Amino acid sequence: MEYLTVLWAFLLMLGLGAVLGLLLALAAKFFHVEEDPRIKEVEDMLPHYNCGACGYAGCHDMAEALVNGTAKKVSLCKAGKKDKNYDPIIAYLSTHPDKDGKTNVPTI
Amino acid sequence: MEMIVSFILAIVSYMLIDNVVLSRFYGICSFIGVGNKVKSAFSMGLAVTFVIMMATLVCYPLYFYVLVPAGIPFLDTLVYILVIASLVQIVGLFIKKTSPSLYKTLGIYLPLITTNCAVLGVVQTNSDSQLDFLTSLANGLGTSIGFLVVIVLFACMRERMNGYNIPKAMKGVPIALIVAALMAMAFMGFGGMVG
Repeated sequence: MEYLTVLWAFLLMLGLGAVLGLLLALAAKFFHVEEDPRIKEVEDMLPHYNCGACGYAGCHDMAEALVNGTAKKVSLCKAGKKDKNYDPIIAYLSTHPDKDGKTNVPTI
Repeated sequence: MEMIVSFILAIVSYMLIDNVVLSRFYGICSFIGVGNKVKSAFSMGLAVTFVIMMATLVCYPLYFYVLVPAGIPFLDTLVYILVIASLVQIVGLFIKKTSPSLYKTLGIYLPLITTNCAVLGVVQTNSDSQLDFLTSLANGLGTSIGFLVVIVLFACMRERMNGYNIPKAMKGVPIALIVAALMAMAFMGFGGMVG
């Protein structure tokens, strides 16, 4: 009898996890929003700590602010290092203008 | 007719007498954290309302038609957390696609609803007290409207306090906690309103 309970619990959690996971995957595909590819590139150059010390809600938000020019300084990112994060981001953003040919280059 | 009356009475009682923040003490974190601007407090209240209603609608059948017949009702909390987290994610993706401006306004508060214990509290009360479907809905509706009303009132008071000369040590969260305590005492006045 106890074995049956364990089996039911296992099957239920497995099934629920699979169904919800599938729903999430479908939702991610279905509600996919096209955004500036530079945001992803800049996000990859940030430390990925998602600490929020910069004042934005995570590294993705910070990358978005850097790309559209709301964030003027890369050193807002407290966890970043000059050679590892700040310099590559400035170099990347000064060589990659947006589709109107405008660049928003932050300072250190 | 009697059903409608008891439905409305249940909503009022969950909204005012058993208020989620002020007498059950759920969702204090977002109450203090978001309740400093009326606009963000209102959007947070609406988002919580939506998630609580969705969670009630999904979790009720899941508990009474899946967990209980399978003989594993003790797994309820685990299942609820899983369901609520996925729901919030899907709602977030949906809002991002359909209304980017609303997504911007809600910002970080949208994913934070996942860990708002008011949502878990509603569905847990529904299954623990073996409420029927209509009372469960009333619980969800009353709790979320109660949360919305209280957080907006609280935000209004905190906005007004910005202009007052408050002692330095009491500025910010301390005076907010005192305001919350006074609100809780005021809401005790509703006790015994519905028999």
